[in-house]
Amino acid sequence: MNDALITANKLTKVYRRGSEQVFALKDASFTVHRGEFLAIVGPSGSGKTTLLNLLGCLDRPTWGTLKLDGIEINGLKEKDLTRLRRDSIGFVFQQFFLLPTLTVKENIELPLLFSNKNDGEKVVKEIIGLVGLSNRANHLPHQLSGGEMQRVAIGRALVNSPKILLADEPTGNLDSITAETIYQLFLRLNREGLTIIVVTHNLELADIAHRVIRLKDGRITAGGAAERR
Amino acid sequence: MNFVTLASKNLLRRRGRTTLTVIGVAIAIAVLFSLLSFNSGYEKRLSSELNSLGIHMLAVPKGCPYEAASLIIHGGVIPKYLSGADVAEVKKIENIEIATPLLLHQFYKEGKPHIVYGIQIAEARQLKPWWKVEGRFFSDDETTAMVVGSELAEKEKLKVGDVLPFGPDQVPFTIVGILERTNSQDDEFHFISLKAAQDIFQKPEQITAIAIKVKDITRIPEVAKQLEEIPDIQVVTTNQIMGTILNIVGSVRTLLISVIIVAIIVSAVGVINTLLMSVSERTGEFGMMKAIGASGSHIARLVILETLFISAAGGILGLLFAITGSSVVEGFVKGVIPYAPAGKLLSFQPQFLGLCLLFSIVIGVVCGIYPAMKSSRMTPLEAIRSSVNE
Repeated sequence: MNDALITANKLTKVYRRGSEQVFALKDASFTVHRGEFLAIVGPSGSGKTTLLNLLGCLDRPTWGTLKLDGIEINGLKEKDLTRLRRDSIGFVFQQFFLLPTLTVKENIELPLLFSNKNDGEKVVKEIIGLVGLSNRANHLPHQLSGGEMQRVAIGRALVNSPKILLADEPTGNLDSITAETIYQLFLRLNREGLTIIVVTHNLELADIAHRVIRLKDGRITAGGAAERR
Repeated sequence: MNFVTLASKNLLRRRGRTTLTVIGVAIAIAVLFSLLSFNSGYEKRLSSELNSLGIHMLAVPKGCPYEAASLIIHGGVIPKYLSGADVAEVKKIENIEIATPLLLHQFYKEGKPHIVYGIQIAEARQLKPWWKVEGRFFSDDETTAMVVGSELAEKEKLKVGDVLPFGPDQVPFTIVGILERTNSQDDEFHFISLKAAQDIFQKPEQITAIAIKVKDITRIPEVAKQLEEIPDIQVVTTNQIMGTILNIVGSVRTLLISVIIVAIIVSAVGVINTLLMSVSERTGEFGMMKAIGASGSHIARLVILETLFISAAGGILGLLFAITGSSVVEGFVKGVIPYAPAGKLLSFQPQFLGLCLLFSIVIGVVCGIYPAMKSSRMTPLEAIRSSVNE
């Protein structure tokens, strides 16, 4: 097995609802290795998205520690977290979040604007080809199907060459045939060495992952140990 | 792609709303630019008009001297008169170069006011050496000859040689001359000899005012003092007239400034409202941007750029409105101010263009600060969640 990319130790996230404390995630400990394809599954409210948000540095744990590529993120300042998200993490959302006035190409190159990379033209072209949208590069999002929009979102997540791709219900808004093309794309990216973590309700998508972490009521019930299936 | 492209494309997303906001800013800037141009143009015009009188002071019957002076230069009738004896008294004073009597009368023809000046032609031409006439001037003895201003001739389609029934008894007057354009109120007046005016309006030996030019302008106060010693006479100097008119106009200016302040506040609130709505609608997008590496300052930069585009476009459009619609503004201003000199009251100056554009940009930056801060401070998770929960 490759070396550890993510190490979570007793990750806990507590929200306050009035005077009550709600444990969205409790004592989650696991390791994700480079090149791994991990699925996080569980019923609604089990803490899947909370865990993904912590892994993506969108949120901070209440307790516990998280190391990403050897960097302990607990004590990082906001600007360091921004840099980490920009340089190391690619995000794919269920709602795509494409900018409706930008073309496919412009949506994909958007992260380059924030990383001040001016030499992205070639990379963007390659990625448009990788996600199979070469003939749609100048189309606007409203001219695309749901599957194509999600492929644009995946392309956007890849443009800064992240170490890890995090996807929150990436097929949640897609029909099963379109979802299949997204599974195939993830598999291909993973084969090329990209570490992928997917939160999903979709069992077919979970089935193609190397490992599945199951969550219930904020606790990991299975898959915490790093073993390939 | 850069921030400018991104901001401009975002604004095109809600074209209707963006256009209305731009128009709001444009109106405020148009009003501001018009006021600045009016301020500069009005004083210049008034001063040039008073200079076109060719006199240093007016001797008028006791009463309200400024009203009398304003009527004389603007046209109108004062129900009080001086006499020929007063003119003789005035002429005795040292340092007076010219003292010439004027009799004014106003009548209405087809609802429009007409002003008639009874003058002594030789002295009047000495006061106004720039007067040129198509045809000829009348002599002081002619009682049925008339010279008319160029604008009046144009409006009434009058030509040299035309005969015009005139006065209460409709005495036939021959137009012997038409004044070349002076760009002053003279362009709108009828001029006849003093004697003719006294005859047809039945004011024998009566005059409305005495126009006075002094030999040495440094001695105006001294001459004015001597004039005021003559019973029945009050003196107003052209500087006093100008000061008084500017004071009266000042109150209108204050009103216009209040209108501008309200217009600017309304347009600023409009810009802020548009941006807040836009920012609130795009919360999820901002969350996504932060998740893919945008910092708070990137988001703030984007929002500020959007406001700058709105306000700069509004500024440019407002200046175009003001310049192309200046005749409408001019007509409106002339209608509301108590004394409007002839000619263009709005004087457009390049520095006003720059100032108004700069002001619109400052409005943009100021209006953009709050929405920019609001959107930039939101954590990515808050932004994504609020969007998902909508």
